[in-house]
Amino acid sequence: MNDTDLKYLWQTGNNQIAIGQTSDKTIMDNLIKRDISHVLSSMKPIKIFTLIAGMLWVFGLGFVLIVLTINTYEQVSLYFLYSAYFQVMLTAMAVILYIFQLNTLNRIDFDKPVIILQKKIINLKISTLKVTRILMLQLPFWTTFYWSESMFKNGTLAFFIIQGTVTLSFTYLAIWLYFNLTFENADKWWFKLLLNGKEWEPLMTSIGILNDLEEEVISEKD
Amino acid sequence: MAKQNLHKTFHEIIERHKGLLFKVARTYCGKEEDRQDLIQEIRIQIWKSLPKYDAHFAITTWLYRISINVAISFYRKNRKSTHFPIAEKLPTVFDPLPNDFQEKFNLLEQFIVELNEMDKALIMLYLEDKSYLEISEIMGITISNVGTKMGRIKEKLKKRFLNHKEN
Repeated sequence: MNDTDLKYLWQTGNNQIAIGQTSDKTIMDNLIKRDISHVLSSMKPIKIFTLIAGMLWVFGLGFVLIVLTINTYEQVSLYFLYSAYFQVMLTAMAVILYIFQLNTLNRIDFDKPVIILQKKIINLKISTLKVTRILMLQLPFWTTFYWSESMFKNGTLAFFIIQGTVTLSFTYLAIWLYFNLTFENADKWWFKLLLNGKEWEPLMTSIGILNDLEEEVISEKD
Repeated sequence: MAKQNLHKTFHEIIERHKGLLFKVARTYCGKEEDRQDLIQEIRIQIWKSLPKYDAHFAITTWLYRISINVAISFYRKNRKSTHFPIAEKLPTVFDPLPNDFQEKFNLLEQFIVELNEMDKALIMLYLEDKSYLEISEIMGITISNVGTKMGRIKEKLKKRFLNHKEN
């Protein structure tokens, strides 16, 4: 079968099917009105839930911490207060970054050349990893919020060794993950172990596609 | 462009090029309801991009870019539900088709289904009789790269038809 035959086959076959297609004017007018609400409707419920939960956590806990600071600063454990402040601050940063990424994703221009735009979309999706990396920095603060002055006054050597090891390990792990949880490490066992849930599937697929597109760009240069 | 003009232009573009949208949707979606959803998504993006349309570009190049970009994103999101039952019976509204037309058309579609999302776009543009220059403008790759990739895809396609004939 030659090129002309193939083109004839494709065009004739599709024309046969397309003949019954109509473009209802009312549907199109509704579509124009729907434009604004489209941004929200295109977001998956899990994203909306994550966003609302994150914001409630930041505003709720933030409010409690401010009240504690103003009214009971002398009585409350400063280890708890500052650990919680850092935790809320990091969550707030992650929420802001998440909103920024969703917004950028929804404002993208679809009339750019296919390979260039697809790379941009996938890179943006992969940048959700940044949110995870920021959240990882919270790890050490989960090992310090329960500290108190009496613990340090009355603690035994064994306690200091165990507590110190836990906090230092979590600090090291947090910093290490912050710098290493990148898509370049997507093929590493620990990466797959950490991000193996269903919610990470689209991200892992995106990483695979990006690698394919990178190959396209490389072969482009060759 | 005034809002009234924008509406009018939008309706005209959609009406004149509905075949283009339909073919892109058919290339990326097997189920009719998915196709309709995809066509709707494409229309939304066309409406959103229309105020920025640069008349120096051919309208079809612009439309193909939007349609393929939306289709690829849609395909990725709905990969599990966009599988192709295909073997769709062609309505015979035109002149009677040759006997083996339906069979060959299904074979061609099945071949396209098995391609990755970028190659689907390439073969569709090629079958739509677009020049390598136009394809390179739509896809954002060089003409020589279009040539190399098309050569590879066409080779596979010819083998498929040959094997089918022998069987």
